[in-house]
Amino acid sequence: MTLTMKKFIITITATIMLLVVGCSNITNINTDPKRPATVPAPTLFSSAERSFSNFMTNTNVNRNIFRLIDQYWTETTYTDESNYNLVSRAIPDNNWNILYRDVIKDLSNATTIINNDKTIDPKVKKNELACIEILNVYAYSELVNIYGNVPYTQALNVKIPNPKYDDANSIYKNLIKRLNSAIGNLDKNAAGFGTADLIYGNSTKFPNQISEWIKFANSLKLKLGITLADADPTLAQSTVESAAASNNLISSNNDNALVDYKESPPNTNPVWVDLVQSGRHDFVVANTLINSMNALNDPRRQFYFTNPEGLSTYTGGRYGMSNRYSLYTHPSNKLKQPSFPGDLMDYSQVEFYLSEAAARGYSIPGSAEQHYKNGIRASIQYWGGTADSLFNNYYNQTSVNWTTAPGNYKEKIGMQEWYAMYNRGMTEWTNWRRLDYPKLQAPPNAVSVIPNRYTYPIEEENLNKANYEAAAHAIGGDKVSTKLFWDKY
Amino acid sequence: MKKVLLNTLLVSCLLFVGMISQAKAQQRSIKGKVTDASNGDPLPGANVYIPKLNIGAATGVNGTYVISSVPTGTYTVTVTYVGYKKYTTTVEVADHNVTLNVKLQASNVGLNQVFVTAQGEKKTKNELSYSAQQVQPQSIQSVHAQNFTNLLSGKVSGLDVRPSNTMGGSTNMVLRGITSLTGNNQPLFVIDGVPFANSNTNTGAEQAGFRGYDFGNAANDLNPDNIASIDVLKGAAATALYGERGANGVIVITTKQGNKTKGIGVSLNAGVGIGYVDKSTFPKYQHEYGAGYGAYYAPPFDPTVTKSFFFNTDMTGNGKADLVVPFTEDASYGAKFNKNLTVYQWQDGKLVPKPWVAAAHGPMYFMKHAVDNHQSIFVDGTTNKGYYKIGYTRKNETGILPNSDLGKDQFNLGGSYKLTEKLKATGSVNFTKTSGLGRYGNGYDNINPMTNFRQWFETNVDLKQQQQSYFHDHNNDTWNYAGFAGQKPIFWDNQYYNRYQNYENDNRNRYYGFAKLRYDPASWVNIKGQISLDTYNWFQQQRIAYQSIDIPQYERYNRDYSEYNYKLVANFNKQLTKDLKLTGLLGGNIRKQRIHSIDQSTNGGLGVPGIYALSNSKNALTFPTEHYNRRDVDGAFAEATLVYKNMLVLDMTDRRDVSSTLPKKNDTYYYPSISGAFTFSELTKNSLPWLSYAKIHASYAEVGHDAPVYSIHNSYDTFAPFGGIALHSNPGTLNNPELKPERTKEYEVGINTEFLKNRIGFNVSYYKSNTIDQIIPAAVSRATGYNAFWVNAGNVENRGWEVSGFIRPVQTSNFVWTINANWSRNRNKVISLAPGISNLQLAVFQNGVSLNATVGQPYGTLKGTDFMYYNDNMSPKVGTGPAYRKGGEKIVNPNTGYYEKSGTSNNVIGNINPNWTGSISNTFEYKNFSLSFQVDLQNGGDIYSLDMAYGLATGLYPSTAGLNSKGKPKRSPVSQGGGVLLKGVTPTGSPNKTWAGATSFANPWGYYWNPGRAFIYDASFIKLRQVDISYSLPQRLVSNLGLVRGIDLSLVGRNLWIIQKNIPYSDPQAGTSAGNIQGFQGGAYPSVRNITFNISLKF
Repeated sequence: MTLTMKKFIITITATIMLLVVGCSNITNINTDPKRPATVPAPTLFSSAERSFSNFMTNTNVNRNIFRLIDQYWTETTYTDESNYNLVSRAIPDNNWNILYRDVIKDLSNATTIINNDKTIDPKVKKNELACIEILNVYAYSELVNIYGNVPYTQALNVKIPNPKYDDANSIYKNLIKRLNSAIGNLDKNAAGFGTADLIYGNSTKFPNQISEWIKFANSLKLKLGITLADADPTLAQSTVESAAASNNLISSNNDNALVDYKESPPNTNPVWVDLVQSGRHDFVVANTLINSMNALNDPRRQFYFTNPEGLSTYTGGRYGMSNRYSLYTHPSNKLKQPSFPGDLMDYSQVEFYLSEAAARGYSIPGSAEQHYKNGIRASIQYWGGTADSLFNNYYNQTSVNWTTAPGNYKEKIGMQEWYAMYNRGMTEWTNWRRLDYPKLQAPPNAVSVIPNRYTYPIEEENLNKANYEAAAHAIGGDKVSTKLFWDKY
Repeated sequence: MKKVLLNTLLVSCLLFVGMISQAKAQQRSIKGKVTDASNGDPLPGANVYIPKLNIGAATGVNGTYVISSVPTGTYTVTVTYVGYKKYTTTVEVADHNVTLNVKLQASNVGLNQVFVTAQGEKKTKNELSYSAQQVQPQSIQSVHAQNFTNLLSGKVSGLDVRPSNTMGGSTNMVLRGITSLTGNNQPLFVIDGVPFANSNTNTGAEQAGFRGYDFGNAANDLNPDNIASIDVLKGAAATALYGERGANGVIVITTKQGNKTKGIGVSLNAGVGIGYVDKSTFPKYQHEYGAGYGAYYAPPFDPTVTKSFFFNTDMTGNGKADLVVPFTEDASYGAKFNKNLTVYQWQDGKLVPKPWVAAAHGPMYFMKHAVDNHQSIFVDGTTNKGYYKIGYTRKNETGILPNSDLGKDQFNLGGSYKLTEKLKATGSVNFTKTSGLGRYGNGYDNINPMTNFRQWFETNVDLKQQQQSYFHDHNNDTWNYAGFAGQKPIFWDNQYYNRYQNYENDNRNRYYGFAKLRYDPASWVNIKGQISLDTYNWFQQQRIAYQSIDIPQYERYNRDYSEYNYKLVANFNKQLTKDLKLTGLLGGNIRKQRIHSIDQSTNGGLGVPGIYALSNSKNALTFPTEHYNRRDVDGAFAEATLVYKNMLVLDMTDRRDVSSTLPKKNDTYYYPSISGAFTFSELTKNSLPWLSYAKIHASYAEVGHDAPVYSIHNSYDTFAPFGGIALHSNPGTLNNPELKPERTKEYEVGINTEFLKNRIGFNVSYYKSNTIDQIIPAAVSRATGYNAFWVNAGNVENRGWEVSGFIRPVQTSNFVWTINANWSRNRNKVISLAPGISNLQLAVFQNGVSLNATVGQPYGTLKGTDFMYYNDNMSPKVGTGPAYRKGGEKIVNPNTGYYEKSGTSNNVIGNINPNWTGSISNTFEYKNFSLSFQVDLQNGGDIYSLDMAYGLATGLYPSTAGLNSKGKPKRSPVSQGGGVLLKGVTPTGSPNKTWAGATSFANPWGYYWNPGRAFIYDASFIKLRQVDISYSLPQRLVSNLGLVRGIDLSLVGRNLWIIQKNIPYSDPQAGTSAGNIQGFQGGAYPSVRNITFNISLKF
């Protein structure tokens, strides 16, 4: 190489290096200016409440088909879900994702942020953490109720992309423990999340937010306890009795854990989105429910159902078959309002649990009959049947009255819970599996038996194979026919 | 021209003679310039040599050379340059320095074989030590398609082009297989050294088959009329100098740089084209049965009773029920047609009695002829100071769907000016305006008429009547009302209303260009500084009208894209010894990319129908979606090429990039490459005269990829507030502050040969690449609270063969027949993913079918439910059926007669990768005529067709009607001899004897009883892709026309004939959009046969 060439190369290299190095430290521009890296914890809590309520309320065939499984409604043209096809729309995946990612994960982040917040009043902090914990327990219990064994101890750990599944029964036990400790931490003399709480944040309706949370939490405890009644009678009894003894259960429809949806999108009741806004006619009320309610002249029918033009009697679509929309009774306009509340826990439900507890001989205040009556009355009133005569006429029928209604307590309560939980598909699915009433039949074109559980998500099969297989083995096979641990009796 | 040349040579010789007489016995130098005799272009790297003294020099980048220290005397001087005839002359060196300017004549050998390689380096065929292939720009210019990237199909071995079937839709291009699991795999376009964005704005949901419009890819803003050459650089060694964006291959386009003869050149171009639907890619319908899903609309719900198939309502008030078409039902599983049956059907928004017959005008009536036209003018010229060019092109196209229109205006300005002998300025400014109206809707949605026509349709619906109903009052007079009152449709709009009222429109204004200064301080070095800008703003508006099934809506999307590149490069070219030449470059590049976008829709409806403004939102607006993405990459690069005797080449490059998207500690990475070539025909020229040309080459390179923007630090999602309450949520993907750059390591070997005086030739290359440390959002169990974690993991291997060849069976002075062929096969394998993860789900389609990258499988396996197979050795086995199992018979449920399907959805049921692809083109040139045709082939590759899964269930296709093997209607109940006997065995292995019922949409053919596997089709095809006929008017005719120097006429047909395919009613290449999600058809558009007539005039 000649000298001039060397000189040139050196000069050029120097210039280029200067150009490049002079502009280094460019990694600074790699933070997203349009998205927050830190957020206030209440916004995560609100979001989790909203996601959980949407999950429990909606009737989208990709997510919530519990109203179909319970044979409240059936489909018109596209009957896949009424025949228990869970695969084609990946329904187990969608439910799993919502609960873990949109509910439990947001709650977990909120917990971390609150724990690290040194400015917050310690009493308020304790209340907020307890509210988070209560919702967390609720969400996890529903995960177990849907699938059986699920990831729990290793869930939400970014260091473990393949979490192992925990035994459903042990999860339940741990949830009850956590719930007890959360209840113990609630202090009604201090504030909670305030208006950020979508359930009890309305201070006009609920002057003391935390005392409502205490009732909600004890009612949840009652629910968990009664669910275990057949699987673990001792724990079930002690849990139920302790919840009842708290004297702090949801004790009227005024205490119901409701989420008040908005009149206009995007935060409307998801049922309005699915049934009204979509313009679709996918659902009619199922003959299974209507025939049964017609037989009892149920006063709630006017609140539950609306007949299309030309139809004078409440007529249910043939469950699981193709049905012409205009020939059958439709879900009522009442529950199709955009602002119709989402219902996470209500008074009638609590009374039915208590009735069952009493019938099982648990030591709680009140008789099975009294609680049964309260439950029916609460349901009729909640739906708008305020006149006493509506309840009285209904209850005085021999097939409704506790003493004369057919069957054992499981049948009596099972049937009445079925009528009462009309808009509470997930809750009723659990009741039905536990009590085995009403006696539902799978339709002729069904691809399986009526699901006793959901199969695990396809994504778990693909992404978490070893743990998936272990869990499938542990519960007795990843099939919809497999009964959950509390459903074996 | 020849005369001028001879004169020049003569004058040069005389000058030398003059010099000789004045020579003195001392040392002088010989200097001069070597140029191309045909156009005066300088020839860099030519070898000027004095054998007697064994000294010489190579010409620099501007074609000049100096041989110093030449003693006085008389010498023979030889000038050689590949592709040119050797020039020999005698020079006497006396008492003056000698100037020897040489004009070399091109030889036939290797004509036009100068390749434009990375960073604009020009290389001769011998100097090229890796795979590159050129595309003749004429083959693209003759067509004048809006979508010029479609035209690259079949032109380059190893370049897989999936043309879009939609007007202005995006073209999927992949070179040498998919390397990046979830990142971009499309090659980079570089126009005159300016990286040219080729992104599209189509969403992931749209790619996976859901609602969206395909707005096309941005490379189509390039004006094909402005292209002078296209070089496709395939491998890593070829593209390493481009840094991370070159990792998927580079398409280097050089635009026209003035005409080479002096004076003004004007060319005018005009053409018209017509396109029509290829009917073999459009559904054929059964004509026996009409609307419905089965016999359940009226008691007795019995398929043998006609009225069960109809809505029974008293339409006349006579107290008797009339038959009404089940208009809410978007299927054709209804009553058998019978012209004597009177059935109330919708017309102009009213139910009117009509005979029950199949529609006279089916969906084919809806398809229009596509029409396009274009005009362009280019003015260019060369002066002794440089060149200039000015061009304007106008194009307009209407598609096969009503109310579709795509217009384009393109301005191109460019020029160069020699400021001093050593300083030259070049610049270019280009503007393209694209205006789209009524682009085709995609996906599983009302906006896609093909989803309606292929999946959910009533065969009694007459599209001509639908057209009349719409134009009668411009209302949504659909066939698919939700109720008797007829206010709103339930699933499908009148498709004319849909096209004319629910339309999108968009504008893209794009500017790109550069300013460049070139300084030549010495003959062996030049320095170029270039600033370039590529920027566009894209404005898209979508409307949903007030009578449509969807919520009325107005949505607007603005996207501002800009990329600045600042580049400084020094090129060297030095003859080190007589036989050894060193060329090279040193450079630096700073890239700054910014993308701003905002997307806002009205909320919950429109206040006033027909006003498409955000202020017309029915409810208060919710938040828009905003993005501001920033990426800076600073690079420094160098190349050194050693050429020995024009025969042995060693090429080394390196590049260092610093990217803003990686964490500070990992933000720097390198791209080394080494390659070598040996043109051994230089040695065998005399001994093996039949071997015209032979070269072997080998290379190894590593390239890198940075991370997507903002994948390092976590941030939260924000939702519209709940009342006044703010909502935030954890994002779906966990970011990763430890990310490292992604790496691809590739080696390649190849051979280039030509025989028998270039009558036959072929190039073969083999490559193997491994892309490791992939930056992937590895899907994880959602129990982690995330959908995915960004990780560095995985190893994807691609290995393949590429063959291209030509043969000229006939070559006479009047007639030449040339056959060109390209063939390639790529074998792709996912070797590993993240630890503990064996599957990466790329997309989930409907019916549980997913597209995956699975360890041990090729990228792009289709998974889903499978049949269950009986196999003597295995007994009935569930869900583990290998995708292509031979032998095992399908198991039929002995109770129902339908196939059993696996309970699991993770069975491999298909592989989207073809076994091989190829193309053959034949060109016949006779005097001024030229005829060529190109046939494209693909062998293998699978497609999942949602169209067939649903369309067979809804009874649209002929196979769902007619008679069974007993001679009875298939749709009759089994009890009456209907149904079908499916081929298969019972769970115990005996032949199936149970007839399967086919009385409703839950029939034996559709999705209802079948696994996803039933709708996997083989994507093989043979297509007559293109036919060109061109004619140049003879010069003697043209010369009578005064100023005109040439007139060319051409007739081009595209996509004329699918000679063979295995998927019914659609084009095996149809898909959703460009991107990594392929192998899926849902609402696929038919392919369009195009014929274009073009005339071009040169002045």
